[in-house]
Amino acid sequence: MEKKKILVANRGEIALRIIRAAQELGHATVAIYETPDADALPLRIADEAVWIGDGPRVDYLNIEKVIKAAKKTGAHAIHPGYGFLAENPDFAAACEEAGIIFIGPPSEVIRNLGDKVVARRIMEEAGIPMVPGTGNLPPGDEGLEAALAFADKHGYPVMLKATAGGGGRGIRRVESAEQLREELPVARAEAQAAFGSDAVYVEKAVVNPKHVEVQIIADRYGETVHLGTRDCSIQRRNQKLVEIAPAMITDKKLLDEICDAAVRAAKAANYFNAGTVEFLVDQDGKYYFMEINTRLQVEHTVTEMITGIDIVRTMIKLALGKKLAFRQEDVVLRGHAVEMRINAEDPQNDFMPEGGKKVTVYRSPGGYGVRLDGFVYQGYTVPQVYDSLLVKLTVHGFSWNETVDRLRRCLRNFNIAGPKTTIPFYLNIVEDPDFQKGEFDTSYLDTHPHLFEYEDVQSEVNKLAGLIAEIHWKKENPYAA
Amino acid sequence: MERIVFGMPVDEVLRTLRSADGYYITNTARDLSQSDYKNRILLHTDLLAAEPREAAGYFSLEITGGASIHVDILRKQVDPFLKLELLREKMPKTMFQTLCRGVNLFGYRPYPQNVIRLVVREFAKYVDVWRVFDFMNHVPNMQAVFEEVQAAGKILEPCICFSTGPEHTNDFYVGKVAEILDVTGPDIILCIKNHGGLGTPKRIGELVAAIKDRFPDLVIHYHGHNTDSNDVGRIQAAVLAGATIVDASDHAFSAYYGPPPILSVIHTLKDHGKRAIGIDEEAVVATSDVLRDERPHYDCFESQFRGFLPTVQIHKLPGGAMGSSLEQAVKGGFLQQMPEILHKELPKVQVELGNWWSVTPGSQILWTTAVRNVLDGDRYGNPSGDLKNLLLGKYGPFPFYRPADWIYEKVFGSDWQKILEQEGGMDDIEDIDIEKERQTLAKRLGWEPTDQQLVTYLQHPNDAVEFFKFEQKFGRVYVLPPSIFLRRGGFKLGETLHFRDHDGKEHVIEIGPTLKNEETGEITVYLNVDHHQRFYTFKEETAATAAAPAQTSLSKEEIAELAEAGDMRAPFTANVCDVLVEEGQEVKKGDRLVILEAMKMQTPVESMVDGVVVEVTVDLGDAVQMGDKLVKIAKPEA
Repeated sequence: MEKKKILVANRGEIALRIIRAAQELGHATVAIYETPDADALPLRIADEAVWIGDGPRVDYLNIEKVIKAAKKTGAHAIHPGYGFLAENPDFAAACEEAGIIFIGPPSEVIRNLGDKVVARRIMEEAGIPMVPGTGNLPPGDEGLEAALAFADKHGYPVMLKATAGGGGRGIRRVESAEQLREELPVARAEAQAAFGSDAVYVEKAVVNPKHVEVQIIADRYGETVHLGTRDCSIQRRNQKLVEIAPAMITDKKLLDEICDAAVRAAKAANYFNAGTVEFLVDQDGKYYFMEINTRLQVEHTVTEMITGIDIVRTMIKLALGKKLAFRQEDVVLRGHAVEMRINAEDPQNDFMPEGGKKVTVYRSPGGYGVRLDGFVYQGYTVPQVYDSLLVKLTVHGFSWNETVDRLRRCLRNFNIAGPKTTIPFYLNIVEDPDFQKGEFDTSYLDTHPHLFEYEDVQSEVNKLAGLIAEIHWKKENPYAA
Repeated sequence: MERIVFGMPVDEVLRTLRSADGYYITNTARDLSQSDYKNRILLHTDLLAAEPREAAGYFSLEITGGASIHVDILRKQVDPFLKLELLREKMPKTMFQTLCRGVNLFGYRPYPQNVIRLVVREFAKYVDVWRVFDFMNHVPNMQAVFEEVQAAGKILEPCICFSTGPEHTNDFYVGKVAEILDVTGPDIILCIKNHGGLGTPKRIGELVAAIKDRFPDLVIHYHGHNTDSNDVGRIQAAVLAGATIVDASDHAFSAYYGPPPILSVIHTLKDHGKRAIGIDEEAVVATSDVLRDERPHYDCFESQFRGFLPTVQIHKLPGGAMGSSLEQAVKGGFLQQMPEILHKELPKVQVELGNWWSVTPGSQILWTTAVRNVLDGDRYGNPSGDLKNLLLGKYGPFPFYRPADWIYEKVFGSDWQKILEQEGGMDDIEDIDIEKERQTLAKRLGWEPTDQQLVTYLQHPNDAVEFFKFEQKFGRVYVLPPSIFLRRGGFKLGETLHFRDHDGKEHVIEIGPTLKNEETGEITVYLNVDHHQRFYTFKEETAATAAAPAQTSLSKEEIAELAEAGDMRAPFTANVCDVLVEEGQEVKKGDRLVILEAMKMQTPVESMVDGVVVEVTVDLGDAVQMGDKLVKIAKPEA
């Protein structure tokens, strides 16, 4: 393959993930960064780095600046990662216009699937099961009336969703008409602020479902395959924390059905490159289409672990015009994989981010079946202005038991000092009998409050070392005075 | 088996002592540490010495009590109970001894009766021999401790404090012994507490003989100090006159104001045909061989004044107070006045105030008064509170005579007689509510304290809380040898420190560079902890930072409490994305006041009260920290 130059329009662990894949393919890589990321590891690993502004979170979203950086460095292609511009059809279109390959689906596909109303129509036409819902609500009181009428018909709770939202963002659960009246304007304002559009719609809430998604991948030549399912039921406030492949559903026929539906959905949308079709599965084994995420997912690692297929490498190759090198029958799912997002957050304080703190110690686990996708290092200060993900721990095991054992071992082998992390909370999860049995749905955190009970432990030697440091630097040892 | 060991019933111990052919030795390691090392010999060192000390076969090891418990938590950062537990593990046979100041326990002022009883009960689980004294030799001051020690089945060793002068006759002391025995019954050991190392060998011999003459079955334990270098002589006279137990300690740490060396006592008495029962001389030697290497680490605590002080017979300061008095003179810049203070003023004050016993807390009163008298040039013109209490009889009645009227007049003014009449005499100290204290401690610590922690807290409230927090932060630091814990001037770059933690796990710490950020004044110390780099950041205390007001950082609970009062604070760090109220607006409980945004999620802040908005502190777009003011609502007058 001809050697190209690929710009990574992202930051953090995903920037590093993409740079690694590109470098393995022999391509040159370009990182971009805002000022708060000046110390970030991807800049050191990439072949080139371009400063695009002081940020925070404005320059990474600035299409013009990113395209300019690509042109300036002579990049042939841009991988958007996840978040930021990844699902912005204008960005994909701007790339297309500038003659730069966008590593992802065409702008039109992003636009269609990003508009949840259009997406629903496409899926309905393709016969994919849907959760009942309204179209985009009209503005003002008319919209409120439509929402109230829908909720009356289908019953509460209902979900209030930002049409342009995604990845769990811009979703509210509403329990009553009174709350709906109150929340609708807030949801609109939030949608406007977060996504640049105040369009919202209402959907029937599926109570305590499992969140199951299917990784799909399609080339330009009509081949669309799925790489199996993922279970992302363990979430807080609709944000995923722990992801598992394949989904923990014993009914294999149901899983096959869901995967087939995902491929049908992708084909109906004329999908190209990697994407994720998300479903809700209720307690009766009924499944509903939720949305298609037109990008690489954070949790793609678990699928890679059980299929052996490098999704990012495949994305780049497909974008550069290659055919899929494997067919559906070549995709074999082996064992179980779990990803845990090690975030700099305090689970006991409502997952409050611990940004701004320096990572004074960073020691990570290793060994068989262990994969780490991170970008922090000892001495790194976690920026306050971005998300709090430090490293993704992904483990693979032959059996579910083995996988849980490996998770436990790895979490214990982590030694991170400085910011508080989600590790002690995850340690409680791996010790939880329901998790060990593979029994959990999206209500898991709410129904397992004991997961939040743990003590902040400092090893004895680290405490003593703290005293030694004090004795060392103080000119007068207070204990010898 | 003549050796007396831990676990023997009290009557068996006393029977063995009464029929002893020879004498026993108590190793007063605590008094050595207190008199010559400002009480700072670490548990680490005592644990090193534990094995040979156990083999040496002492009657007891005096290892706690006096001022040591306070210093344990204040300076040595060791839990006084943990110390005893760990020593017991290594010394299963040796009895542990304490020194208790009666109503003043291990402190400087009288405690309530229920505190005294609780403290003694808790310590009696670890301490086998209880030496109890009162600086006025006022027996009722010791009674609660006597009762609790006997109730716990431990060995009670009441003291008669000893001093010199015309009033200090054999008759007086024999009378005191009778007074004690009336209260305790016959099954005690009597201690002659010669805390100053006063009197000649002849005088001590006569006193022992006089007591033995009146109470032939009474076991006498002689305790002295070697300040004048002649305590071996007094010990010899005491034993020859019938004392059964004597005090001495390890020669590797021998200095000037503490006990004399054990081996010198043994050798001296051997020549008189007196045998040190149970003692293994080789183990005594071996103990000092272990300790010798440790002594240099304690250099900074030794008296700057080398040499014995036979003038103790004039000023009578107890060995345990010598080091601190000299240190005070150095720090206070009145060292050149010490001869006047020690040899002229102190003996004069001593006699003027009643010629009782110069030992804690009385020795502090005498010393402070003498120093003030000399430095101020106005005798008794600047009396301490403790001196006033003494004159009012708060510590107990004067044993020989009351100080002269002119002193009372000087201290209390012309109304002194009225004051003495109204306020004189001992106070009944009311019991405190111990459960309430426990709750207060739990609140201050943030966890439920153990009974032991409560006992430590009841004696030294603030220092105990500081210590427990220290222990939580830094762990069990007794594991650090004095070469680390007492290091002055920092470690060398690349120096490796080895130690074993409380669980026995071996660790190595290598000292890395220390870097200073000139801009922020932050100091970062790099350490390789078990071959893994860590760094510790400190803020150098500058005049500016010391003077800066403490940053307000409210807890969740505090924020919730304020909200109930209408003072709405930011519950987390966020951006203000909407302000929905303005000043003067009426609001109801549950109304939205402000919308905050964090992690891309909006969260409304709702009013917790009905009322009127009196202040809006934030604007749209403001960034707020947890605890920052948002909106203030005044509740209508009820």
